[in-house]
Amino acid sequence: MESLGDTLWDVVICGTDLQQSLLALSLSRSGKKILHIDPNGYYGGTEAAFSLQEAESWVTDVAASVAAATNGTCPWRSASICKPEAAATEGQRAATGLSFPRAYSLALAPQIIHTRSDLLSQLVSSCAYRQIEFLAVGSFYIFKASAPAQASKEMGKPTLSRIPATREDVFSTTAITAKAKRGLMKFLKFVMDYDSPPQTESWGRYADVPLTEFVQMEFKMDNELQTYIVTLTLSLDGRISTKDGLAVIHRHLTSMGVFGSGFAAVYPKWGGLSEIAQVACRAAAVGGAVYMLGTDIKTMQESSDTHDANLVMSVELSSGDTIKTRMLVRASVQDHSTTGDGVSGAMGISRLVTVIDTPLKSLFAAVVEGSPTPAVAVIAFPVGSVTTATGKVSENPVYVFAHSSDTGECPVGQSVLYFTTLSTPDSKEILMQAMDSLLTAIAAEEHAPRSLFQLHYEQARGATNSQTQGLIFDFPSPSLSLSFDDSSLESVRQAWSRITDESVAEMEYMTFPDREGAMSDEDEMYT
Amino acid sequence: MESHGVARSIRARTEEQRLQDLEKIKAYRNLENQILSQSASGTYNFALFQLTTELLHLNPEYYTIWNIRRRCLISDLLFRQPCELSPSGASLSTSPNATKERPLDASLPSPSDPIPLYHRFPIAGKNSAGLVASTALADPQRSDIQYQAPNSEGRESDGKVLRSELAFTLSAMDPGIGHPSTAGSDCTGDMGNGTQPSVQDAYQGRTQLPAWGYRRFIVAKLESPELQGKSMAEDEYAYTTKIIGFNLSNFSAWHYRSQLIVRLLDRRGGGDRMRAAFLDEELSVVRRALNVGPDDQSLWYYHQFLVSQISEYGDGHTIAPALTVDERAAYLRHEIEEINDLLEDYGDIKWIYEGLLECTLALKQLEQRAERGGGIFDVKTWLVKLQALDPMRSGRWSDLERRVRD
Repeated sequence: MESLGDTLWDVVICGTDLQQSLLALSLSRSGKKILHIDPNGYYGGTEAAFSLQEAESWVTDVAASVAAATNGTCPWRSASICKPEAAATEGQRAATGLSFPRAYSLALAPQIIHTRSDLLSQLVSSCAYRQIEFLAVGSFYIFKASAPAQASKEMGKPTLSRIPATREDVFSTTAITAKAKRGLMKFLKFVMDYDSPPQTESWGRYADVPLTEFVQMEFKMDNELQTYIVTLTLSLDGRISTKDGLAVIHRHLTSMGVFGSGFAAVYPKWGGLSEIAQVACRAAAVGGAVYMLGTDIKTMQESSDTHDANLVMSVELSSGDTIKTRMLVRASVQDHSTTGDGVSGAMGISRLVTVIDTPLKSLFAAVVEGSPTPAVAVIAFPVGSVTTATGKVSENPVYVFAHSSDTGECPVGQSVLYFTTLSTPDSKEILMQAMDSLLTAIAAEEHAPRSLFQLHYEQARGATNSQTQGLIFDFPSPSLSLSFDDSSLESVRQAWSRITDESVAEMEYMTFPDREGAMSDEDEMYT
Repeated sequence: MESHGVARSIRARTEEQRLQDLEKIKAYRNLENQILSQSASGTYNFALFQLTTELLHLNPEYYTIWNIRRRCLISDLLFRQPCELSPSGASLSTSPNATKERPLDASLPSPSDPIPLYHRFPIAGKNSAGLVASTALADPQRSDIQYQAPNSEGRESDGKVLRSELAFTLSAMDPGIGHPSTAGSDCTGDMGNGTQPSVQDAYQGRTQLPAWGYRRFIVAKLESPELQGKSMAEDEYAYTTKIIGFNLSNFSAWHYRSQLIVRLLDRRGGGDRMRAAFLDEELSVVRRALNVGPDDQSLWYYHQFLVSQISEYGDGHTIAPALTVDERAAYLRHEIEEINDLLEDYGDIKWIYEGLLECTLALKQLEQRAERGGGIFDVKTWLVKLQALDPMRSGRWSDLERRVRD
């Protein structure tokens, strides 16, 4: 058997993050010699999904590299497990109600994927979708801190208010006045055609102005409706521009009903994007790619190949092998405290992942009777709706992805909540408070839910563009967008172009026939 | 229309996919021919019934097939002599020779059932309705036929058949419906085969006319003295409410609703106050719908129906026959005010102006009959707007103008 060093690899890919894995998928039928390595012992990289034990190891690793200040080139700024306390004994942990560690698959990348996303089209055209189970993302809710009840001095209970996204939704809801409904309908109609005249003239001069201003000026929307609109965009600072905001809402609206009634986005079972990464790698492996986990690059240098006039990279791996490759593809190696152009203070998010001991059924009710039961619900805390015990008020929206056990991320009878907000000095405290408020809001319908496990981390985004230097191609840092950002796919295509011969048509990118024997029963005559 | 915007994501269909599509088309055509030729020969039997189930799943708009299905029910499957039923016939199960089961429906799908991405590209006319296994009588050709006891058993199974047919029409009307977790409440028949909620790309454009007609036939049969012997108006009214909640533009649902109302009110047996309250509620529902869908003709149709219930009185068969002329006039004026509000935000929709003028006309007729006078409202402005928005019908608007002015 040939050793690794005997082969002149066409590409060595380092990291099984989503982008690298999609690249491997795109090359899976090309016959190219691919060596795909990952320094971690697991697949998925920055998009991995963890069992409780894996989460603990990861936290230890991140904390160690932060302490040693060696985490500059990875996105993680901090990570900790707040609950159960580290000192808890086995018995104490068992008493918490947590199931065994492998019963959990907590996603580092819980992005929802709109049905119109190019990612899905590519998964379909490459036939990789067959290995993935997609679940419906259901309702979007707004958290409403209650006003003090008139009759008594006590605070009324906070509530969750569902955001209507279709005409029939707007018809049914009783939470909006008739006049406000008309405004909302006009806006929804406007958005459907937003990129053609005369609509483009209407919003043209507002392009870089926050969307909230545009809808207030041109559609006379009050604060409440503005909040609905901004929430649909999942804008992390609540100040998404009109140009970007309209595009995102357009995508949301046109994504409704594409794969079934009642939902505009899907979520892969078993851990979100990590599942897509794994399936992509599997496809590449079937196509002949060689996989090595727990393997990193130690050193590398350009050299000339003895058989070839072209330059090759000579790469020494941590396994001790030295290999030669025509091209090396990696994750971004730029410092994550700066953006691509060296500007410091790169954007970051603060995330809290928590396991709850109840199924939170009320969040996952199918809106349209008979449509697929959603496994994910989205809840937004608008700016200013979270006030901590120390008096700090949220300056950015807080978004919550609620996952039922249908996602496979926790055992039946429990659920997982992913809280996200822009990273600020107070963000961790704000997230904790948001969690308490949310659990209070849900408490009336079911017995008071408890949080069994809490993982907090901060993630930054460095380079937003890919980088090419000689034979090395670096992917950009992963997007922090809560809904899958199709622009990530651009870099994958760029890398593919560099590796593939010019003779391969652009049109064939990510387009493969089914492998023989891969046709499942589902492809019946009548479907 | 959403379906127009569905992007084609596969940029180039491979030869393989083209051949697959051709196969599917061929299979569809074969099925169609089979059904039509057997129907032409006059053999309406269980096997034909099963074939219609298949085809209607692919294309629920095919009127002829619904008719054939109905004939199968009448001539062969309903009200059969009890002795021709096998013992297991009374407790229905899906036919042993049911066609190839849809995938993923071997058991009731769990809530985490994956969404089938491969249903993205429906063939024209292909139906994406959930499969409600239309339960049917056991095959009467089976050799283990035994004598059965009296008629009542035959009736009971007929009832089950018909109720499962109701569920079948439900699944044909909306592909989202029929999911076993929710459909159980709708039908008492066996639904052994699970359902498969799937794509509704094609849904938006469907009229569902044949399915509604078929449903009315089923309901009529169920209401007949041989079966339930009682009115299903209440259930059917609730059904229309549900369907409208899925899609406000469903003309058939509104139309059916309008036909049910008078019977419904008779059954509820309430007095004048109850009837007036009911009228208020219906007006409120359609107005809420118009508020979000002012360009939808189905809604205007229903509104016009309600207005006519107010303005055309005297023969007693209306929603609230006891309303006085003054009360009726008040209703109409209120309607005009409410619809006028819509103009605040929907200034360019001709239906609103037309609706206003029709109401004004109705009011005029009412008051003329009772020899009362009334204001003219903003009729001139409305007429001008109508002419501007729809100049192709200027003759009609002139006619309307004349009638209002007289």
